[in-house]
Amino acid sequence: MPDWKQEITARLASLRLQPAHEAEIVEELAQHLDDVYERSLASGASDAESRRVALRELADANLLPNELKRVHKPFHERPVPGGPGRSNLLTDFFQDLRYAFRMQLKNPAFTIVAVIALALGIGANTAIFSVVNSVLLRPLPYKDPERLVMVWEDASKFGYPRDTPAAANYVDWRNQNTVFEGMAAIADESFNLTGTGDPERLEGRLVSANLFPLLGVDPQLGRTFTATEDQPGSNHVVLLSHALWQRRFGGDNSIVGKPINLNGETYTVIGVMPARFEFPSIDDQVWAPIAFTAEDSANRNRHYLQVLARLKPGTTLEQAQTEMRTIGARLQQQYPDSNTDLGVAVTSLHEHLVGDIKPALLILLGAVGLVLLIACANVANLLLARAAVRQKEIAVRVALGARRQRLIRQFLTESILLSTVGGVVGLAVAFGGLMLLRTFIPENISQAGQISIDLKVLGFTFLVSVVTGLIFGLAPALQAARFNQTETLKEGGRDSATGSSGKRIRGLLVMSEVAVSLVLLIGAGLLINSFLRLRSVDPGFRADNLLTMKIVLPQPKYEEFERRSAFYTELVQRVQSLAGVKSAAVTTNLPLYRQGNSIGVSIEGQPPPPPGLENIVVTRIISPGYFETMSIPLLSGRQFTDQDVRTGQRVVVISDGMARRYWPGEDPVGKRIGTGRIRRPEDWFQVIGVVKDVRQVELTADPRPQMYLTYRQAGFFPAEDLVVKTEVDPATLAATVRQTVWEIDKDQPVSNIRTMEEILLQSIARQRFSMLLLAIFAGVALILAAVGIYGVMSYSVAQRTHEIGIRMALGAQTGTVLKLAVGYGLKLVVAGVVIGLIAAFALTRVMSTLLFGVTATDPATFTLISLLLIAVATIASYIPARRATKVNPIIALRYE
Amino acid sequence: MLDRELKKGSAELLILSLVEDQPRHGYDIGTLIEKRSGGTLRFNVASLYPLLYRLEKRGWIQGRWVEKAGQRRRRYYRLTAAGKKVLAAQRNSWREFVEAIRRITGIEPA
Repeated sequence: MPDWKQEITARLASLRLQPAHEAEIVEELAQHLDDVYERSLASGASDAESRRVALRELADANLLPNELKRVHKPFHERPVPGGPGRSNLLTDFFQDLRYAFRMQLKNPAFTIVAVIALALGIGANTAIFSVVNSVLLRPLPYKDPERLVMVWEDASKFGYPRDTPAAANYVDWRNQNTVFEGMAAIADESFNLTGTGDPERLEGRLVSANLFPLLGVDPQLGRTFTATEDQPGSNHVVLLSHALWQRRFGGDNSIVGKPINLNGETYTVIGVMPARFEFPSIDDQVWAPIAFTAEDSANRNRHYLQVLARLKPGTTLEQAQTEMRTIGARLQQQYPDSNTDLGVAVTSLHEHLVGDIKPALLILLGAVGLVLLIACANVANLLLARAAVRQKEIAVRVALGARRQRLIRQFLTESILLSTVGGVVGLAVAFGGLMLLRTFIPENISQAGQISIDLKVLGFTFLVSVVTGLIFGLAPALQAARFNQTETLKEGGRDSATGSSGKRIRGLLVMSEVAVSLVLLIGAGLLINSFLRLRSVDPGFRADNLLTMKIVLPQPKYEEFERRSAFYTELVQRVQSLAGVKSAAVTTNLPLYRQGNSIGVSIEGQPPPPPGLENIVVTRIISPGYFETMSIPLLSGRQFTDQDVRTGQRVVVISDGMARRYWPGEDPVGKRIGTGRIRRPEDWFQVIGVVKDVRQVELTADPRPQMYLTYRQAGFFPAEDLVVKTEVDPATLAATVRQTVWEIDKDQPVSNIRTMEEILLQSIARQRFSMLLLAIFAGVALILAAVGIYGVMSYSVAQRTHEIGIRMALGAQTGTVLKLAVGYGLKLVVAGVVIGLIAAFALTRVMSTLLFGVTATDPATFTLISLLLIAVATIASYIPARRATKVNPIIALRYE
Repeated sequence: MLDRELKKGSAELLILSLVEDQPRHGYDIGTLIEKRSGGTLRFNVASLYPLLYRLEKRGWIQGRWVEKAGQRRRRYYRLTAAGKKVLAAQRNSWREFVEAIRRITGIEPA
């Protein structure tokens, strides 16, 4: 028997198999050759003949190693099944998925570009959605929160559709309604905490005992208030916030039952609220019973409460609103002096907490959606270009009988894989984005601290990823499926995406990218424009080099007017003598922080206003140096001096707006006003000066009539804020000034140390938030659009290299060719801009509540932004076009 | 001689069918293909064994050295459970394919 092994081994040599494995193959094949040889001999052939027959089995020297190589190659994919054979959705899907993975790995550059674009889009969407989810969608952390409502006095006639009710009205509502399970009152209060460590001022609330059961929140430690504790005299009990308990009492469990010193009086701690409890706002650290006195319960003129109520099960907000309106009408008749034109409004608690920020968030959500659309258009373009390159692959599949449906499905699997990877990377982008977002989200947005990526957000991201993949994958998939073999052949093997339909799709994509980014850019432009106008609003004072802090004098200790005055005098004097301080003053309220106090005034010589239409004037009680410190210009008359004291003539400085309102065309200096019943001539306040209007509440609101009184004469309400004009960076003086306060009274809390600039910024934090975000999104959109245009132009120019070469060879000028190429790009861009402008006209209206000083269709913004976009787009198409003209005609012609 | 591609495409089905009832060794398989096709189909060693190895690697058939009394040991291939499924599927699509071809070309099965 001949030995075949040598022959076989020689052919396997190149494969470098493992010896044992090789030996097995050799053995098996040799046996086969033996059999062939023997059979041949048996049929009568000669030995030499039989030997040849057997060796022929091995065919030429390369066949065996080549065939074996294929066995040892990694798992060989089966082609997409052709004919109308059975197909299994799931098997097909996994097959497509594996294939898609390989496609992506084969083109890392393509994949990276696409994934970055998608990750930006999906990440931005995830980040904004997680804000929307936490702030708008997630139920409030109370029991059956959808049944919680706020009840307001409706004073629309005076411009306050939701005004804080007076206690007597609240009591009547509570006793007369049949729609609520319960109703609770809340009032602002601040407490000076002393006795342990530095004195500190705490924001807190006085609340009805039933507030906590009404919300359905249990304390983490101890208990909440009893009805007995909600009575005057037995109300010296408090609940602490979790944060305060941790910060000031080291999380000591035995705090319950212990006394603490608040406002100079002893209160017993009865409980600690859980960490997430922030009601009504995140600033609140202490809650004590509101304990109305009989006098409180009869007062219909002091409007200072917030009222929470819980709807009975099955009762709707509308039913509650209807009944409360009836009760309000009855009270109007019963108490015409105080309740004329006073209605009742019911709003959901959720709307009360998030209503303000809702439009901005929804617009931002819409905006990121548009950014994602642009990213989709870009990736679709990339895929189209790649589909063109893949014509051959498609041709083979179609030839094998692949059905259109099957091809589309495979292409979509690829794009969804791409978008899912984009989604995963996008999650990382979202994490980063949220960290950034947290630094400038306005902190007074309800639940802002709870913003996180939870399951719902993950679900959203997944959904967005899949839908995104479908959107950008559809065009290339359809394009591929419309593929026509004959056409491919006719075009001589060059891809058909350069054909008319491919070009049309590309053109459409560029146009829509331009249109969508124009809408975003205009939106951002309008917000930036508003913000700039907002920043340039003259608040009526100068905010630079101003240090402010809250110094609230505790009640029993500083009850006496003289004691209070003495404190202010000494404080201003001492602070003014500090190095680096130009001047200092105290005031009841800083501008742009809170409305502060208002009082009704009577004007000498003018008839008293009808009930409900009192001359309400925003009132500040200040020290004489206030105008100088705040740089509020005096328009006429004089300022307060130290000689304006209680025993002398009572004087008042009014705002320009107040002067124009009550003494139009006259000089108000010397006129007199009253702040209550005038019994004696000395009760009048004489106007001694007029100062410029100050925006007291917010920059966007027109100033209301204002007047200033000096603390040496008027004791209606205590001054609470110290303001210091410095010659140096105001922040550097904070510690020194605080020390000065403690030198006067070591138990006096100092809080809210901020510069006036900070307060100014804080007052426009929401506008800044929306503006910044939309500007970022629009910027991303612009970049994506520019990249998209650049890509399409590069591609189209590359396809036309041949044509351009011929033109140049025939003597065309560079300029002409350039015009030709850029002209095509510009045509698309201009068409996109026109569509975008129409869309923007329709869409920017939804932003009108966010705008200030510009209309939603501001022509200047529309024009400027359109020009900007056209300029960017022109550059994006000029660069590739220019490159094309640099081509050497000879090379271009050889290109075929 | 049958077109090479066609042969390649059908080879898997042929091999799977032959080892369906009983395990067979390579020579046996090669001979049976040739015999049953009346000589139309023939695989030489250089094509047949790589094909067997490939099917084995896919897990459709499994080869095992078997020693029988008085004989050299030989490698026998048997159909696996996965192979059974593939065979059924391939039979189906071939049946449809052949039927389709017949309807178009009018070639009657022998």
